[in-house]
Amino acid sequence: MPSLGTSFGRGGATVWLPDIANADCILIEGSNFAEAHPVGFRFVMEAKERGATIIHVDPRFTRTSAMADIYAPIRSGTDIAFLGGIINYVLTNERYFKEYVYAYTNASNIVSEKFQDTEDLDGVFSGYDKEGRVYDTSTWAYEKDERGHVKRDPSFQHPRCVLNLLRRHYSRYTAEMVERVCGIPPATFTKIADLLASNSGREKTTAFAYALGWTQHTDGVQMIRTAAVLQLLLGNIGRPGGGIMALRGHADIQGATDIATLYDLLPGYLPTPSALRDEQTLAAWLKTNTKPTGWWANTPKYMVSLLKAFYGEHAKAENDYCFDYLPQLIGDHSMLPLVFAMKDGTVKGYFAIGQNPGASNQNAGLTRAAMEQLEWFVNIDSYDNETVSFWRREGADPSKIGTEVFFLPAATVLEKEGTMTQTSRMLQWHDRAIKPLGDSKSDAWYFTWFAKRLKELYADSTDPKDRPIQHMTWDYDHDDPSERAKGEPSVLKVLQEINGYRVADGEQVASFTELKDDGSTACGGWIYSGVCPDKQNNRARNRDGSGPYTALNWGFAWPANRRTLYNRASADPDGKPWSERKKYVWWDESQGKWTGIDVPDFIATKAPNTPADPDGKGMDAHSGADPFIMMMDGRGQLFVASGLKDGPLPAHYEPVQSVVRNELYGQQSNPAYGEYRRDDNPYNGEVSDDYPYVLTTYRITEYSGIMTKYVPWLAELQPAAFAEIDPELAVEKGIKNGGWVTISTATGDMEARALVSGRMQPLRVTSKGQRKRVHQIGVPYNFGEMTGLARGDSVGNLIPIALDPNVSIHESKTLTCNIRAGRRPPRHRDRIDAPVPAQERDPLGQPIGDWAKAHHGHGYQHMQGDEHGGSEV
Amino acid sequence: MRSIPSPDDAFIGAASRNGEQRATIPTYYDHPMLKWPDWDWNVVTYLFLGGIMGGLGLIQMLARPELESERKLKRTVRVTSFVLAAANPAVLVTHLGRPERFLNMLRIMKFKSPMSLGTWGLVFYSGAAGANVIRELAVGGTLPRWMRFFAPGLMTPVQALLGAFTAGYTGVLLSSTANPFWGSGKRHIPAMSVCSGLASACALSSLLCTLEGNTEPLQRLERLEMVAGAAELFILTDFERRHPDYTKPFFKGKRGEKLRTYTMAAGTLGPIALNVLGSMFNLPKPVDALRVTAASILTLAGGYVLRESLIAAGKASARDPQAAFRQPK
Amino acid sequence: MATGFFTDTTLCIGCKACEVACKQWNELPSDGFAFSGNSYDNTVELSGTTWRHVAFVEQTMPTEDGVANRWLMSSDVCKHCTNAGCMEACPTGAIIRNEYDSVFIQPDVCNGCGYCVVSCPFGVVDLIERFDPEGTHYNLASLSEERVEEQKTALQGHGGVAGKCTLCYDRQKLGFVPACAKACPTESIQFGNIDELRERARARVETLTKRGIHAELYGADDAGGGVGPLNAFFLLTDRPEAYNLPAEPVLPSTRQPAGYTAAAVTALGLAIAGWMIFRNA
Ligand SMILES: Nc1nc2c(c(=O)[nH]1)N[C@H]1C(S)=C(S)[C@@H](COP(=O)(O)OP(=O)(O)OC[C@H]3O[C@@H](n4cnc5c(=O)[nH]c(N)nc54)[C@H](O)[C@@H]3O)O[C@H]1N2
Ligand SMILES: Nc1nc2c(c(=O)[nH]1)N[C@H]1C(S)=C(S)[C@@H](COP(=O)(O)OP(=O)(O)OC[C@H]3O[C@@H](n4cnc5c(=O)[nH]c(N)nc54)[C@H](O)[C@@H]3O)O[C@H]1N2
Ligand code: SF4
Ligand code: SF4
Ligand code: SF4
Ligand code: SF4
Ligand code: SF4
Ligand SMILES: [Mo]
Repeated sequence: MPSLGTSFGRGGATVWLPDIANADCILIEGSNFAEAHPVGFRFVMEAKERGATIIHVDPRFTRTSAMADIYAPIRSGTDIAFLGGIINYVLTNERYFKEYVYAYTNASNIVSEKFQDTEDLDGVFSGYDKEGRVYDTSTWAYEKDERGHVKRDPSFQHPRCVLNLLRRHYSRYTAEMVERVCGIPPATFTKIADLLASNSGREKTTAFAYALGWTQHTDGVQMIRTAAVLQLLLGNIGRPGGGIMALRGHADIQGATDIATLYDLLPGYLPTPSALRDEQTLAAWLKTNTKPTGWWANTPKYMVSLLKAFYGEHAKAENDYCFDYLPQLIGDHSMLPLVFAMKDGTVKGYFAIGQNPGASNQNAGLTRAAMEQLEWFVNIDSYDNETVSFWRREGADPSKIGTEVFFLPAATVLEKEGTMTQTSRMLQWHDRAIKPLGDSKSDAWYFTWFAKRLKELYADSTDPKDRPIQHMTWDYDHDDPSERAKGEPSVLKVLQEINGYRVADGEQVASFTELKDDGSTACGGWIYSGVCPDKQNNRARNRDGSGPYTALNWGFAWPANRRTLYNRASADPDGKPWSERKKYVWWDESQGKWTGIDVPDFIATKAPNTPADPDGKGMDAHSGADPFIMMMDGRGQLFVASGLKDGPLPAHYEPVQSVVRNELYGQQSNPAYGEYRRDDNPYNGEVSDDYPYVLTTYRITEYSGIMTKYVPWLAELQPAAFAEIDPELAVEKGIKNGGWVTISTATGDMEARALVSGRMQPLRVTSKGQRKRVHQIGVPYNFGEMTGLARGDSVGNLIPIALDPNVSIHESKTLTCNIRAGRRPPRHRDRIDAPVPAQERDPLGQPIGDWAKAHHGHGYQHMQGDEHGGSEV
Repeated sequence: MRSIPSPDDAFIGAASRNGEQRATIPTYYDHPMLKWPDWDWNVVTYLFLGGIMGGLGLIQMLARPELESERKLKRTVRVTSFVLAAANPAVLVTHLGRPERFLNMLRIMKFKSPMSLGTWGLVFYSGAAGANVIRELAVGGTLPRWMRFFAPGLMTPVQALLGAFTAGYTGVLLSSTANPFWGSGKRHIPAMSVCSGLASACALSSLLCTLEGNTEPLQRLERLEMVAGAAELFILTDFERRHPDYTKPFFKGKRGEKLRTYTMAAGTLGPIALNVLGSMFNLPKPVDALRVTAASILTLAGGYVLRESLIAAGKASARDPQAAFRQPK
Repeated sequence: MATGFFTDTTLCIGCKACEVACKQWNELPSDGFAFSGNSYDNTVELSGTTWRHVAFVEQTMPTEDGVANRWLMSSDVCKHCTNAGCMEACPTGAIIRNEYDSVFIQPDVCNGCGYCVVSCPFGVVDLIERFDPEGTHYNLASLSEERVEEQKTALQGHGGVAGKCTLCYDRQKLGFVPACAKACPTESIQFGNIDELRERARARVETLTKRGIHAELYGADDAGGGVGPLNAFFLLTDRPEAYNLPAEPVLPSTRQPAGYTAAAVTALGLAIAGWMIFRNA
């Protein structure tokens, strides 16, 4: 998520799982840690055994809540109000970690006088264009002095210094307001706020853990930003038992975003060139994407090395290293906008590899309908699923569907070798356990042969547009003759290429610090550099757990095998540990370098008292006490002047479909969210009496994604789609535990079995001064109606597509719905299946207005790493 | 404040064993705590036949060889008991599925297992009954006379003793389980099994005598049957009186009605009445034969229903977690 | 060496990994796909083919501002009783106590009589009813051919054979930790030397008590009733019945003396009556 990226420098979790055990307090909010990450949860249990306080804030009482010391039920989608309340508490009670905040954050920066806050504009920031629903972010900049340096006020007197802006911005987020918005009683709120503050500081640290409960919202990025601001104020970033644990999804989802499934990012978080920006030449691209100061000053080395890896000998300085071979973005090409483009016939062919959007997408019915309009569809998967079988769904007439469907059998993880990058950014190699069953082949096999056949097909072409295919390097042939005979590529060679090598002698580079921008090195993903420092050494294979708990010889964590990011901040500005208890990385005067139990996330020999050179380039601009090396100023960003599309500070907005009016501002929902008003994507309305209940979705331990419903051992554990309903609502609606219910929205309906449980509690909230009782209904997303042993309608049928402006993540954690006892009527073709008139559509399925232009690409340039960006889902 | 409550408050309060014992223990979604057997007609028949067989063992001892009529009775009873002893394992095999499986029972002898002891009881009983049949046949001349030495006179009480065991162990087999209803009848069920077994054995013997036209021993058999029947009735009533809770599935509801009708009324009181009738009036022969047949069939049917009810009530009892949680001592 | 389980339910997160690991290692079929409505528990009970079962106990209590919840989770298993009702009852000697002091059913000796089923005071062991390698209950790919054959032979005839936890005898022989304990992410299931486990459990109760958490051991010591200490014992935070466990299990064979005596007295009485009837008439 760019939230972590814009706040700290990299989008990955700032900590790693085992370190959670060192926390004194853990706030789990927006994640069902125990259920969705059961193995990692052992470290929470370990922390608890060591005396840590576990807090869970969630709309539902889950298996995580059952393990927590404190559970607070929250109205879904209101986390900014809750965390904003804690920020307010921390600031007004002066309980922030002053030395940390003063030294390591941008609290003293002075913001431009053109900037206007939500306080001034009733819920929007300055620069908002109502028509185009986009922000011009230029007014959010800092005030600069004559020499172009950001102005600071170390005395914190200036009314527009970041710290004072924060105070003002969050002053209305009182405990009482938290109760009105979130439904959390003030006593609970204050207790939690106090616990977080008392468990932070020199002697103690608090860790935050989140996942989809904070991401899948139209203001998801800002939710996480709120946590980032709070953790910076509490001084918990970069310290043991602190930080923000972004819990990742699928086993290799971190790896997938690192190397690189997001449409707008090349491997290693280098932005994909865009036709809508001035990025048509390498020089122009480098100009927009190289930062003068901080680590990103190295961008040219990584980009040129990447192009060398892509196009080998063909990439030369003379031809811009084949920069123009790279595709250019012309809009938001993430998954959900693509669905509209398929539906409207703009996109004619589709490869789905290891995904089941026919069940997992928002407006899943639309996805299935859209596939009818394709000319061809290729699915590489291990199982028949809702996607590849779209043509035989309830209500469809296969004889009228022209899509040619190819179903290719995929080998599963046990049938192939390779690395997985897990939630702690750690690469771990796994061997193949069994030979692929039947005709199934590894995904690498398919891609190798797609590549080889394409090269063969275009070998004789003289058309310049075919050169990218002709010039693409593809030399992963297996050294083992028997594997080679089977056509299997060597995935180790792929990893070695990702690590990078010297072009001259083909020797591996030991680290990304050896990469050059002169074409002498090639590197397929600079952040992984160091994983194969020589041909014989694959550090992802390392399995030595001995030594301190950081176990640096177990696997390889990017970057440079660091476990905790920004760990320079675990020492005070002088380089000494903040306390003996929280000792982690420190300056060793005698050796003249940073040492500790982790790899220092800092220039190893840069002494803490090294002064910053305000005019210096790259890292010279940072002092020896600036821990956030990726940032231009080396500091944690309480205020984000650039990089976010919906505000420099998080403000609470209601979900696009809500049961209440925004208590805090006149602005109801995120002014910049991605809205798709079409007949086949209807919304319930901002607040609608027809849909009086909150619906939230989540996963259950028993299944992984939607794919494991074929496994009888799992299917028997949760045999049917169900809906969790509070007893009060059940009585009101005549719903019996175990019986059928139908849940409906404007988008669609689904049926499920009722699980009436006291774990679901109605909440008391306020909507424009009126007290209101809010019922929340929970539905697991792990079911699909067509295949597998455990069946049930997919909740994706209910959710219209509405996106976060920064990463195009959908809003599937909060919406509104209605519910009744009984089963749903049979499905028939309806408006979701019908084509949308041409004048209503946009060639690329983009929403109306300038949004499309403004929102393609992340447009920020920090390593970010959340899967929950658009492309993955 | 929604923090997780400490244990001393309401959650456990209601359920705490230190606190007041509640009338009903909170259960786990009312789901049965115990398992029940998949025992069916075959096990019912096995128990039923086992009881008769045991009763016959006693009768073959009681019948006096000095009297011609009782000699005949003795012989019939011995042959019948042997046939039953041979047939019963076959019934069991229909339950177990395959004949070899019965042999598995003979791998070991285990005193703690009524099922094991019972099987061996059955085997020894077959042996004793077989020996006694050989003796009968040898004495009767069907077999060479010397073969009577295969079964010395001692075999007569041995078969009786083993008979008492086979009739009684079927009750112990049930009551020595975790089943709350069966367990609560740890004395009553074995005792009533013996009574019912003997009553049924008398009934079967009477029936056979009538068929053979050997009416002489009928009166004695009937008296013995009445005593056994009366004892059974007494035990049943006492059982209900002592364990009103555990015996609900047995005495109450549809199953209770069936038990009262078939076992207690028709199967015990009925034959007693008929037998009293028989001893009071001198009925003409064919009518008396009808009376005896009717009484015998009622007793036998009652005995079968008793076993059936025991099994069915056991299954029902196992499904009741409240009963299972409060195991009878 | 006597080995066993200490299942600390305060550490259980209800992930059911133990259930699945057990089925996978032992190649057991699923028990069907029925929605129970009992919290997250659709397994509902231990069976001949489900040897670990996680119970989910939902409790709510009103507070000043709403309700407070507890969700207790506990992974149940065969208790491997010191005096095992099932083993005493088994007429074939199929159930034995092995070198790890666990109660083990030898499937080739079992004759499917079902007597163990009614003799287990905890309702653990049951006959395996279902075998349908063609059907959906097995994970076909995982089932070895020998296993299919073995099961087919074992389950011929209608009674099936009795099935329950083996305490992973085969794994123990290979020096592995039982599959369920291995899979448990939070060490709720602890495997080891039974004496050490008991000591650990007592210490754990003390720790929890100090923290103000009500904790009691279930089956660590002899609770009377004849069953004796259990080789798989539990740490509970509510009364056992809440987890569907009997508070005072009774060893069935303790009922035998009374039973045999009653039968003998009755038989003797009837014999005397008979003697009188036959002699006096
Ligand atoms: N067993 C299992 N594990 C999985 C997966 C699986 O399918 N099965 N999937 C993997 C994947 S792909 C992912 S992305 C991760 C996701 O991991 P998680 O995000 O931890 O999982 P979810 O259950 O989707 O959502 C987390 C929680 O958010 C709560 N929630 C909903 N709305 C809000 C809100 O507005 N505020 C707050 N505070 N909470 C809210 C839900 O009630 C839910 O309990 O899990 C991974 N792990
Ligand atoms: N309402 C709602 N919707 C959601 C979510 C939510 O919380 N609520 N969560 C979202 C999130 S975070 C995610 S990650 C998505 C997940 O959505 P999907 O990724 O679409 O769902 P999965 O079921 O995980 O699909 C994985 C597919 O890959 C196949 N597969 C498994 N292994 C391999 C392999 O090695 N190779 C190939 N080629 N195929 C393989 C499986 O058979 C399966 O069909 O759902 C999203 N949708
Ligand atoms: S499924 Fe895999 S990645 Fe997820 S918790 Fe279990 S072991 Fe970890
Ligand atoms: S719990 Fe039941 S099955 Fe297990 S050993 Fe004890 S009596 Fe036998
Ligand atoms: S079913 Fe098998 S294990 Fe159980 S008592 Fe009978 S023979 Fe023994
Ligand atoms: S010990 Fe083995 S057999 Fe027993 S429950 Fe655990 S995994 Fe299953
Ligand atoms: S594996 Fe462990 S934590 Fe998971 S359900 Fe079983 S006992 Fe509980
Ligand atoms: Mo995900």
